[in-house]
Amino acid sequence: MAEALQKKLQSELEKYKQMQKDVSKSMSARQKLEAQLTENNIVKEELDILESANTVYKLIGPVLVKQDLDEAKATVAKRLEYINGEIQRYETLLKDMEKKSEQHREVLSSLQQEYQKAQGRAVGKV
Amino acid sequence: MAVNLTELSLQQLEGLKTQFDQEVEFLTSSIGQLKVVQTKYVEAKDSLNVLNKSNEGKELLVPLTSSMYVPGTLNDVEHVLVDVGTGYYVEKNVEDSKAFFKRKIDFLTKQIEKIQPALQEKHGMKQAVIEVMNVKIQQLQQSQQASQAVGPAKA
Repeated sequence: MAEALQKKLQSELEKYKQMQKDVSKSMSARQKLEAQLTENNIVKEELDILESANTVYKLIGPVLVKQDLDEAKATVAKRLEYINGEIQRYETLLKDMEKKSEQHREVLSSLQQEYQKAQGRAVGKV
Repeated sequence: MAVNLTELSLQQLEGLKTQFDQEVEFLTSSIGQLKVVQTKYVEAKDSLNVLNKSNEGKELLVPLTSSMYVPGTLNDVEHVLVDVGTGYYVEKNVEDSKAFFKRKIDFLTKQIEKIQPALQEKHGMKQAVIEVMNVKIQQLQQSQQASQAVGPAKA
């Protein structure tokens, strides 16, 4: 009885650890997105200041390619939109994970209690 | 502060101290990074001063690699190419570029000023934790010595 419980407890603990790993992975991905968002916002501000007389170049690999100012603005705007969407997606994902790990924690603690009780009984019998 | 530090156990205090240590370290390195970038912008802005009318047409050596230079002439003292981030480069005149660098330097100064108080606060909290820890350790040592002094007498 206690052994079966212990096995279950262990496998649940493994699952919980895996979940925690996923959470921290998503966390760092979200942080990276946040940094990209800041960087792109700064670029957008700079592009907004420019006049059409300014020439814009885009670095593609090792070469600079001339690009239209409006095109560059559109690209950055699209990027910002994408990044914001991604952040939203991670936000909901993280919330979901948070809820799941909360539930898992409860399952774990009740399992632990059960296990301890079972052990106590086993000792009592001997 | 909501939690009374003196009520925490030594272990909890130790944990708090490590946490503050990490936070202080993180903030310090952030400020360091910001300062490095700021210096780069200041240097770039200073180099723009060389681009004036009196230097137009002068000869200069262009570094092709870090150990090889080729001779060249300064043709255009009015336009420079500025990296604005995420792979975009913009051709600006010298005045606009100076304004650009000034903006960046001011922005970084503001960011550093934002972090500085947070760093000081964390540092103060860390010091408070260390102080409480020292007091606790002393109390522990005293009580241990007292029990040791009593111990042999009983035996």
